[in-house]
Amino acid sequence: QCDDGEVVIKFSHVTNTDRHPKGIAASLLMERVNAEMDGKACMEVFPNSTLYNDDQVLEAMLQGDVQLAAPSLSKFEAFTKKFRIFDLPFMFKNIEAVDAFQASETGVAMKESMTRRGLLGLDFWHNGMKQFSANKPLLMPDDAKGMKFRVQTSDVLVAQMKALGASPQPMAFSEVYGALQTGVVDGQENTWSNIYGQKFFEVQNGTTETNHGVLDYLVVTSVDWWDSLDADVRDQLATILHEVTATRNAESFKVNQEARQAIIDAGGVVRELNAEQRAAWVEAMNPVWAEFEGDVGAENIAAAQEINTMY
Amino acid sequence: MDVVFLFTMVVGLLLIGVPIAVSLGLSSMIFLLAFSDTSLASIAQALYQAMAGHYTLLAIPFFILASSFMSTGGVARRIIRFSIACVGHMRGGLAIAGVFACMLFAALSGSSPATVVAIGSIVIAAMQQAGYSKDFAAGVICNAGTLGILIPPSIVMVVYASATDVSVGRMFLAGVIPGIMAGLMLMVTIYVMARIRNMPKGQWQGWGEILRSFSDAFWGLMLIVIIMVGIYGIPGITGAIFTPTEAAAVASVYAFLIAVFVYRDMGPLAPEQAGGRPVSLLRKPQALVTAFFHRDTKNTLLDAGKLTIMLMFIIANALILKHVLTDEQIPQQIAGAMLEAGFGKIMFLIIVNVILLIGGQFMEPSGLIVIVAPLVFPIAIELGVDPIHLGIIMVVNMEIGMITPPVGLNLFVTSGVAGMPMMRVVRAALPFLVVLFVFLILVTYIPFLSTWLPISLMGPEIITN
Amino acid sequence: MSGHTHTYAQSSLGRAVNTLEETALALILGLMTLVTFVNVVLRYGFNTSLIWGLELTLVLFAWLVLFGISYGFKITAHLGVDAVLNMVSSRTRRIMILLTTVACLIYALLLLKGAWDYWAPFAGLDATTGRWFPTGFANSRDQAWYETEQIPMLDWLRFIEPVFNQGEAYEKLPRFIPYSILPFGAALILFRLIQATLRILRGTQDSLIVSHEAEDAVDEAAAMSRKG
Ligand code: NA
Ligand code: NA
Repeated sequence: QCDDGEVVIKFSHVTNTDRHPKGIAASLLMERVNAEMDGKACMEVFPNSTLYNDDQVLEAMLQGDVQLAAPSLSKFEAFTKKFRIFDLPFMFKNIEAVDAFQASETGVAMKESMTRRGLLGLDFWHNGMKQFSANKPLLMPDDAKGMKFRVQTSDVLVAQMKALGASPQPMAFSEVYGALQTGVVDGQENTWSNIYGQKFFEVQNGTTETNHGVLDYLVVTSVDWWDSLDADVRDQLATILHEVTATRNAESFKVNQEARQAIIDAGGVVRELNAEQRAAWVEAMNPVWAEFEGDVGAENIAAAQEINTMY
Repeated sequence: MDVVFLFTMVVGLLLIGVPIAVSLGLSSMIFLLAFSDTSLASIAQALYQAMAGHYTLLAIPFFILASSFMSTGGVARRIIRFSIACVGHMRGGLAIAGVFACMLFAALSGSSPATVVAIGSIVIAAMQQAGYSKDFAAGVICNAGTLGILIPPSIVMVVYASATDVSVGRMFLAGVIPGIMAGLMLMVTIYVMARIRNMPKGQWQGWGEILRSFSDAFWGLMLIVIIMVGIYGIPGITGAIFTPTEAAAVASVYAFLIAVFVYRDMGPLAPEQAGGRPVSLLRKPQALVTAFFHRDTKNTLLDAGKLTIMLMFIIANALILKHVLTDEQIPQQIAGAMLEAGFGKIMFLIIVNVILLIGGQFMEPSGLIVIVAPLVFPIAIELGVDPIHLGIIMVVNMEIGMITPPVGLNLFVTSGVAGMPMMRVVRAALPFLVVLFVFLILVTYIPFLSTWLPISLMGPEIITN
Repeated sequence: MSGHTHTYAQSSLGRAVNTLEETALALILGLMTLVTFVNVVLRYGFNTSLIWGLELTLVLFAWLVLFGISYGFKITAHLGVDAVLNMVSSRTRRIMILLTTVACLIYALLLLKGAWDYWAPFAGLDATTGRWFPTGFANSRDQAWYETEQIPMLDWLRFIEPVFNQGEAYEKLPRFIPYSILPFGAALILFRLIQATLRILRGTQDSLIVSHEAEDAVDEAAAMSRKG
């Protein structure tokens, strides 16, 4: 409960508070803000989509009914197409490359790409690199042909599945486990921590370690609200957020590796690709880049590739 | 306390006769304006998203529509004939057949009032002709009709699943055993009463009639198979074909096709005068197109639409109330208070039952579930109550709420189809209400009745939140 | 389906509007069912799907209900508790019913303000100021660029692009189109409630909720058994 005179910061997200990387980060942020900014600001976290889901939260933010949120990058489609770069298959070599890209000048500019539409990106939060899981072994891209894959509703991900000759199926996250188990869809793509946390591996033949895409979140706020804050409140909040981001993002690689190991320990199958197989996947999905080059900007793709060479 | 003010306002508005939906919505808005900084626009957003943002709730219009096509399309009549052929010859046979028919129809329809209308409008009259008292007939059907929401598919389960993010498929499976059990308990009670009071029994019409009536009802009963196989698949043969929401849409289309082209009790191929023979599709092939625009089709769609609107107006405003409660972090406060008071699992379940039984006196089930589920769900998880089990307890409570005054959908509908004053229906339903109470206690304290089937078919539960 | 609903005496315009409302409601529900069904067939039979099918169905669902609420008030189909109403003296009953109309009118007015404030920025218009009473117009941030997730832009609607989106092409249907049902539906609710209030004042309508008096319900039952 907030005291009078404190700036109320409502943070709405869609995961649990103690196991999901985003939920953990949000809880940590709340703890620190409420301890260190006592009397100036007060943060309330609304987890598990209890207040808004990711589709509604951005509208509510522009309306001024919520101040912070961290939707996955594909939720910003209506605001900017620039984030499509993170969905493009095999754009980033690994999570370190993603990290370096986001910290670069290009990445920082991306966070500010939505200000004309009223949103300001504050920090990227990692979940991790995405893998494919399916109800039969996936080693070559041809294996995915004709299969039904659950994807997030994003044009890039739809195009990516079509490039494989698979059929993309949009579906609410909460329905995926049931749909995989009963065979309504054959497979899905996700990070290790989600595949473990949602127990998807239990109802799949196996997970193929492709690291083909990035699942990241952007902590956003409304430009109008951010500008209305006193400079000292704004600076302190930004500083705490950057520190929480640095701590949690550093953890994310470890969290995913632990989830990967936990899947193996629980009897799940993890398949690694050899260089030749991997090259086949890269080649099969590469045409998607050209399709979306206009949206994300050729110079941004070039910047990402330049960073890749360093990792 | 703010929240006491809120609930007092809801109940006060309800009692002076404000529509349920408006009582919920207006109280929420006043509460929001008085105690928070959140905008009125967020209320409009919540109202729109009550429909557009809840994929699971989409099953409601579809299951209502399927039900409408089946009641108007003669499926209920055929199910009753089959039921009478099976158990009509026992003492109290027609009443037992009525319960059996309600169970079968419940397996097709997601709503209790719909079950009462479909079965009751035929069986109650038939029972009177056979020498039963009207009160007994109305009491039986009023109670058996409540199985409509316990035996899957079920609109109330859909609402619960949507409010708490548990799987609809699991909830449906969880209702199977309790549903059959409740039906059997009602049948046994009727049989005992029938022996004591020497009630009429029908003629055994032979296996031939069972077979004939079954083949006549076959196309209707097939829908049960389509829904179950569609949602769960057949191990080793096919995976699932659709989600529970899609199952509801498929059921509507199937019920439409059966009603119009197979049974031909409605639509362009229906007999021209009552009791006549239906028209052959060969003689009127244009029916393949005109059926979609036929008066009967439009009226059935409109009837289902009206019921959807009535229900969703309440549910949407209950969701607005839920939104406002969440915005003010009320569930956490209540959960905290209850946990601090040191309530155990048993005490908690008793409290939940009492809240729901009282709430059920005033509220329509789906609206009540939307409000109560988010309040008690976090505590239930904390105390280690299985969410599916909690859901079934809530559904059984809703069944009781439907046959108790002042707001009891089944009472209203029964009084309508039987042409009896409501208070007389209340008295008629009372003896069987006792059965449902015993059943509620069983379901509450024997969790595996609810959890065994979903766990053995779908594996152990994962709580994702 | 439960209880008794009324249709009040109507002019030919009233009847035309009634047909229009009923046809629209039937059509929306029919479309929702077909789109969902076709998507199942496409996925299971042809391994493909209408990617916008789900979102369109959900929009239609919202339209069905938000458009239908006012129709529900028109035919007095909304559920309420009439137990107390039936116990008290006719004078008290009259006062209570007048209070319910006041409550409903306040609800409709607040909803209309909320609906306008929510929708206006999406249409490039201004929301109102004031916490509960509109005191003027705010200078709202234009959100007419805000598109739906999957529903494709219809070509015959392109003429709105210069008006709403500064000439920029829409790839997807802009959100203000599906959301327009909010202010429209809320205005209709207010309109139907004013009509009902006038009828109640004149004494030609009894209350705003479904009556469950058994006598009334018998007609309904008769109508239902004729069908079933
Ligand atoms: Na049912
Ligand atoms: Na009740």
